[in-house]
Amino acid sequence: MTVDIADTTTDRTAVDPNLLAPTQSHQVHEFKHEIALTTLRVDPTDRFLAAGAEDLDVQVWDLESGERRTLKGHKSWVRSIDFSADGNRLFTACWGGIVNVWDTSQPEPKPLQTIQAHQGAARFVRVSPDGQQLATCGNDLLVRVWNIADGKLVHEFAGHERHVYGVDFHPDGQHLVSQDLMGGINVWDLQSGEHKKSVDGSVMTGYDNKFAADMGGSRDLQFKPDGSQWASAGITKVTNSFAGVQDPIIVLFDWKTGKEVKQIKSADTNVKGIAWGVRFHPDNFIIAAIADRNGKGELWFRRPEEEKAFHTMKLPSAARGLDLLSDNLRVAVAHADGNARIYRMTARPPAEEAPADKTSTEKAAPAKDT
Amino acid sequence: MRRNQGCNPLEHEMARRQFLTGTMAGAAGMGILGTHAQADQLKRQEKRILQVFLQGGVSQLESWDPKPGTVHGGPFQAIPTSVPGIHISELLPNIAQRMHMLSIVRSINIKINDHEQGRQFMEKGRRVGDFPYVGAVASKYLAAPNSDLPGYIHVSSRGISDVAGGAAFLGAKHGQLKLEGVKPPGNLAAPEGLDAVADAGRDQLRLQFNQRFSQRRSKALTEAYDASYDQAARLMNRKAMFEGKASQQDLERYGAHDFGRYCLLARSLLENGAACVKVTHHGYDSHAENFNFHLEQLGEFDKPFCMLLDDLETRGLLESTLVVIYSEFGRTPKVNVRYGRDHWGTAWSVALGGCGIQPGAVIGSTNDKGTEVADREVDAGHLFHTYLQAVGLDSTAEHDLQGRSIPIGDPAAEPIRELLA
Repeated sequence: MTVDIADTTTDRTAVDPNLLAPTQSHQVHEFKHEIALTTLRVDPTDRFLAAGAEDLDVQVWDLESGERRTLKGHKSWVRSIDFSADGNRLFTACWGGIVNVWDTSQPEPKPLQTIQAHQGAARFVRVSPDGQQLATCGNDLLVRVWNIADGKLVHEFAGHERHVYGVDFHPDGQHLVSQDLMGGINVWDLQSGEHKKSVDGSVMTGYDNKFAADMGGSRDLQFKPDGSQWASAGITKVTNSFAGVQDPIIVLFDWKTGKEVKQIKSADTNVKGIAWGVRFHPDNFIIAAIADRNGKGELWFRRPEEEKAFHTMKLPSAARGLDLLSDNLRVAVAHADGNARIYRMTARPPAEEAPADKTSTEKAAPAKDT
Repeated sequence: MRRNQGCNPLEHEMARRQFLTGTMAGAAGMGILGTHAQADQLKRQEKRILQVFLQGGVSQLESWDPKPGTVHGGPFQAIPTSVPGIHISELLPNIAQRMHMLSIVRSINIKINDHEQGRQFMEKGRRVGDFPYVGAVASKYLAAPNSDLPGYIHVSSRGISDVAGGAAFLGAKHGQLKLEGVKPPGNLAAPEGLDAVADAGRDQLRLQFNQRFSQRRSKALTEAYDASYDQAARLMNRKAMFEGKASQQDLERYGAHDFGRYCLLARSLLENGAACVKVTHHGYDSHAENFNFHLEQLGEFDKPFCMLLDDLETRGLLESTLVVIYSEFGRTPKVNVRYGRDHWGTAWSVALGGCGIQPGAVIGSTNDKGTEVADREVDAGHLFHTYLQAVGLDSTAEHDLQGRSIPIGDPAAEPIRELLA
């Protein structure tokens, strides 16, 4: 199989500073599914929103028409999703260790390719900057790199001692970063095929003494487009993880030094839960998607150099995934109530653009400045 | 003046021995000699119970009753086992290879979603009342009279409150000895500076006091104290056993973590005469992150438990040891917003095997969504009867308590007969 994948190194459209107004973010679309979502991704051309759910399917919505396609082929919940740069290929990783490759140009896509990527869950999948490779990680403690064209294994990196939760390519295309349950972070060199360095992310794990179990891991992992930092979303300060009592956290790491440079947490100590998504915005702030243990969610907007978020937006349901659209004015959030919602980081115009599909909504979630 | 105990000792002896004969319905027609012989035979058989308690409520959907691909099935898959047609969760790969040694009851409905109430019901076979735990019953009727070990021993990493050690009216002698980890019971060592001669003298003095005290009182009032001292003395001689000096080979097989060491200790205790050993593995109350936690917890449980099962079998003990894996309840089929499952006593499972159990069976079923029992509903009362009958005790007989008789098992319940070998 040959896959034609465009260069993904091109930066997304620069944001229009006259429009961007995160403090006035509001919901503009809602795409409904019947089952709680587990993750989502928007393709780089902003045509498709793909989401996994607590079922065996992948939901793909056309962002213009609102049309939904349901992709069948997994035997377990989909945990992670990525797209090729042109949006024509969709890669989905599931708890069964399978990565499926789909052709989104087909009206009813079937798996073009099925890769048994891991024994046990495949927790993360990411496309390389040149679009030629996939990185995956999973419960077999391995990080693997696959050639997309033929599905063959290119690299296998062993060294994590607990389940590997997240992986991402450095924008230079020559390195990978992966993070495990215990906050163990490894940097891998794709040219030499060797381990390059270890990074301490242990702030993102905790041992629950009462229940005698560890909790942690990266729930989202994303490099800054210039490669100078990466961000990891997860938890810290575990007190009763079996009831979901721990603090959501975003940790920023410096690429050159391999050191933690910033911890981003809620100023509200009542917020307990998990950070399930993080994105670098080109206007130099971080967006984080939070699942509060009470079932609600939050979006945090935070400039790393500042001491607290400049805006916190309450969400109607726990967030389980986050992506930034290429116009840099909208974010997509996967929710535990089964809906994928698009939030626009602008002032609400007097006459908001007409909803593109029947499930669209003008309802804005209540916003609160912090 | 000695109080009237309300019935004569011979009647007591008859009742106890008739209970021990258990499976023989015609015991009433036998003479005393016959019943003594039955009891002694049972003692010689040295039947015992191993309880593995998955504290907090293991999810039936992530263990014994998987339903992959259904609305509440969760992300894990079902895998085939050594018994054709039986599938269990992929989180139990080692047990799957040994399914022919175990059976599953998938149709439990205890109608309780509270930890303490559920645990009490599962231990006592009764919803309410001060009744002894199954381990205490085993201690009373299965323990060898001269065993160096207490009849009922519980190995756990942290405390769970059990009033009177679960002995209820059977007396403290049959209450559980709780070991918090692999270490000897507390206060076992003699006080510093007390040599053997002084200790013997001290004990002699205690016996003299006891003798005088008991002349005017029921023997029952002093025998518990005497039993405690005797037990402590024997335990002091077996202190090394509790310190768990495991071989490297055993640690490699069982794992060097706490639960692996608990299983190794359980093996020693069972081999050395404990009538009931309970091992608690904590951490299943997963109201959040149910799937990640079950991965972790069952990943830790699966192999050491199987190593213990293998060792019991290869050492010829499995056929005389009832093995029970249980919780206080199961977990909700519906996954909550925290990826958790909550308490669910309505439709869940236990697994059991070994002595007296038909292996490789599945009893009962739940509906397609796992929300209700579909077939052969049972509760903890049925399980209690089943456990005791599996080790040859007549659960429909009565405890003989100084003039009053109390049914061993709940008269409203009965054993799961098709599960008994």
